[in-house]
Amino acid sequence: KCAGSGRRLSRLCLSFLSSLLSLSVVAMTKLAQWLWGLAILGSTWAALTMGALGLELPSSCQEVLWPLPAYLLVSAGCYALGTVGYRVATFHDCEDAARELQNQIQEARADLARKGLRF
Amino acid sequence: MATGTDQVVGLGLVAISLIIFIYYTAWVILLPFIDSQHVIHKYFLPRAYAVTIPLAVGLLLLLFVGLFITYVMLKNQRVTKKAQ
Repeated sequence: KCAGSGRRLSRLCLSFLSSLLSLSVVAMTKLAQWLWGLAILGSTWAALTMGALGLELPSSCQEVLWPLPAYLLVSAGCYALGTVGYRVATFHDCEDAARELQNQIQEARADLARKGLRF
Repeated sequence: MATGTDQVVGLGLVAISLIIFIYYTAWVILLPFIDSQHVIHKYFLPRAYAVTIPLAVGLLLLLFVGLFITYVMLKNQRVTKKAQ
């Protein structure tokens, strides 16, 4: 229930911001939301790495900051690969249903061949 | 549950993705906070490679995807030409 209200709140904020920024009555599409999010995060990262905000971050934080987009991309790729692998490994095979389906296919082929359809 | 090779392939993919994620996280996020004289830095390449290697791999993947699409399109063209 807490997660739902948090999501509702963030959606409210986003729709408020989008109506402010896009100056239209229509709600923002998902693509537009993603692009806005990417643009905001990208500009924040660029501003922090180039030191445009004038903050004096310690050098180790700077070292972590500048490869961050590459890191996020690689970790997203790893997550995708891992999820695919996990779902392949835990897929529920129904061997009886598969065998039954193959039998039905053979029956159908024989029936249609008898009726004159050439394969 | 999935059968033999499916399980092996699936678990192999999970293991590979975990290894890559852990190594890359250690490289990008943990290493700057470890004293530069520590012995663990021997196991990691210079930091610039943390961006260039994923970039090169990504470009190679795009290349393979493009080649595959070209191959399939050429094969289709040849099939339709033969049918005509």
